[in-house]
Amino acid sequence: MELLLNGNFLAILAAAIAAMAGIGSAIGVGLVGSAAAGVVAEDPKKFGSTLMLQALPGTQGIYGLLVAFIILNKTGIIGGNMVELTTVQGGLFLAASLPVGIIGLISAIHQGKVAASGIMLIGKRPEEIAKAMVYAAMVETYAVLALLASFLMVNGIQV
Amino acid sequence: MAIVKMNKISIVGLNSEKSLIINDIMDLGVVEISSQDAKLTDPEWLPYVRKDGNEDKVLSYDVKISKVGEVISCLEKYDTTKRPLFSTRRNITDKEFHNKLLQGFNAEENVTRILELNKLLNELSSEENKAEAVIMSLRPWAGYDIPLEFSETRYTFIITGIVPSGIEIGKLKNDLDQQTDRCYFKLTGSDKDQHYISIIGLKREKEEVLEVLKQYGFNNVAFKDLEGTAAENIVHYEEKIKEIADEKEEIEKKIKEAVTYKQDIQILYDRMVIERDKVKILGNILKTDSTFYIEGWVPERSINELEKVLNTYRCWYEASEPAKGEQYPVLLHNNRLVEPLEAVTELYSLPSSSNVDPTSSMWFFFILFFGMMLGDVGYGLILVLVCGIAVKKYKVEGTFGKMLKTLFYAGISTMFWGVMFGSWFGDGVTAGAKVFFDADFVIKPLWLNPLDEPMTVLILSFAFGLIHLFVGLGVKAYMLIRDGMILDAIFDVGFWYLFIIGPVMLLLGGSLATAGKYITIVGAVGLILTQGREKKGIISKLFGGIMSLYGITGYLSDVLSYSRLLALGLATGVISSVLSIIGSMGGHSFLGAILFIVVFIFGHLLNFAINALGSFVHSARLQYVEYFGKFYEGGGEAFNPLMKKTKYIKIVKEEN
Repeated sequence: MELLLNGNFLAILAAAIAAMAGIGSAIGVGLVGSAAAGVVAEDPKKFGSTLMLQALPGTQGIYGLLVAFIILNKTGIIGGNMVELTTVQGGLFLAASLPVGIIGLISAIHQGKVAASGIMLIGKRPEEIAKAMVYAAMVETYAVLALLASFLMVNGIQV
Repeated sequence: MAIVKMNKISIVGLNSEKSLIINDIMDLGVVEISSQDAKLTDPEWLPYVRKDGNEDKVLSYDVKISKVGEVISCLEKYDTTKRPLFSTRRNITDKEFHNKLLQGFNAEENVTRILELNKLLNELSSEENKAEAVIMSLRPWAGYDIPLEFSETRYTFIITGIVPSGIEIGKLKNDLDQQTDRCYFKLTGSDKDQHYISIIGLKREKEEVLEVLKQYGFNNVAFKDLEGTAAENIVHYEEKIKEIADEKEEIEKKIKEAVTYKQDIQILYDRMVIERDKVKILGNILKTDSTFYIEGWVPERSINELEKVLNTYRCWYEASEPAKGEQYPVLLHNNRLVEPLEAVTELYSLPSSSNVDPTSSMWFFFILFFGMMLGDVGYGLILVLVCGIAVKKYKVEGTFGKMLKTLFYAGISTMFWGVMFGSWFGDGVTAGAKVFFDADFVIKPLWLNPLDEPMTVLILSFAFGLIHLFVGLGVKAYMLIRDGMILDAIFDVGFWYLFIIGPVMLLLGGSLATAGKYITIVGAVGLILTQGREKKGIISKLFGGIMSLYGITGYLSDVLSYSRLLALGLATGVISSVLSIIGSMGGHSFLGAILFIVVFIFGHLLNFAINALGSFVHSARLQYVEYFGKFYEGGGEAFNPLMKKTKYIKIVKEEN
């Protein structure tokens, strides 16, 4: 119980939650990858374009890492000297990590689904790759907004 | 904003000159001959004309082309010469091309020969596979020493088969022994799935034995068409595989020798394609007994060229402007700077001929946004170098070439923003100086570091977004005014300008606030009064107007969408600094330097690849969704002139 009220623990927990957007990216990239393998089996020349689509749901993991990194940097863990945080400060970090952690996780899965369908699209019409990518990018918008929300919150916390 | 103006051209000529005229039109490459199927059902035309063309001939060309294509890809497999990174067309003068044709070069013979060799090769491969399959199936029976064709003697039966590996063989044997003592049982082999067994017993006891086996999930295995023991057969087939391999090697050698003919065969391929296209286009031509009729589109600027050619023949022709509202094929024309970005427009969809070409108006924004999102001197430099070299050295054509040029400009913009934000491989240069020389070397941003002042960059992003949207609305106004609908331009664009600028001024506050308030009111009233103008009845007009104010939320979300300019820029920057931290963990030492180099190269390559892709996609998205959404209407048919659509060679006119 004492641990849960420790500010430093809460800050590290916040970084961990932010980085968990990577779960969604892993699922999303996985979905696209297995769809892509099917298309490439038919036409190996499509490897390049399918790879581009597969990379798209991977960005949420990066956004998560980004916020985690800023939290770790701000609390001094990366420098090696962690500052003493109050429970409130830790709690603030925890709250700030939620948008990118949760929205990143869910949006990456959905972006993966859209991109996997995009793979089917370029399987039939390879010239339409731009449309497939834009469909996937539409989903990513919300991950970008979440990243921004989390970033601005973390940035505003006084340590 | 340039969609090339097209003129409609009609040509009537003599059948005797038809193939010459088509030849010349093809050489010019500026006329799209459109299909005339509609005229064939038109009672005015029907009695006089019929469709030209010979579909069987097209088909036979197609078959030949696919065969030659097969040969080329077969040769490419054995071609050991280094292939360039980007395949480009070889230049060949038209004289050389015709000489090749006149010589009746032996490419066709070679094609037949290589096709036969390839067929033989495939047959051998399938034989090889069969032999391998037989060996695989016989392996477990290697210990079974009765010739495989024996299935019985006068009094006994012999059966072979499998039981699942989960079965206890001892128990099976016991059960058999209990049933009869005149039965010989042998386990010849086992693997992880099954046991391979053989049984010899008396014929009159066969039923009982099978009954026992059935309980253990026995499956009969028969060897068809095989003689001798399994071991003998394995040896035999292994020898056969060796023979096949030798034969294959022989044939492959022959094919490899034929690689020298590859260039000639490529020329043959392209010649076939040209001939096919000439025959195919006849399907779009109408004819009578002695004349033909061609209708199509030609760019206005190329009419003189065409006239010059047509004047040498005894034919009638007429060029006319398209009728009002008639859609014509779309060809984009832009200056050299903007042209590459046509690739981005084409990826979305060509504009319809009544729309405008958005390429030139979005060029600046596309490049700007890309640079802002990637925003790093090092990454920009990579783009500039890679794309610059690829374009200069390999002369890549088509959409891919345009894309490379676009990325070249985007790279310059990326370097610009890198300097502004002080990002040189993130803080990689600073970290590197620390690791290698233990020196403090900081490159100050020319403007600011977005990590320190994100709000400033965010507001800048929104400002860029607003300008971008305003330009989009401006293009819409331009189109409306061009089409003579000036009032619509004021109502649909002008009032929105006011209704967006007003609130922005209100938000900025200060002395602007009062002016902003009035501008907002004027804009809002204007919208309320005009946006319902297509509805009937005063009340629904007013209601429609009021509802239209709700459209401001659309503009709000459009503007917020530009926050990705900051967010993606942060993503690039922060990952770079993570790389620097990981790379610097070894400190100022030899091993530390090695660690830094490895992390630097692989880390930045990965970061570059992911973020360049992201920047491209999101920069394109801002154009496609936010910008195009304001005015653009796609769905144009691309201009597809009759020309030599060669794949391997580029026929250039010899200059005398």
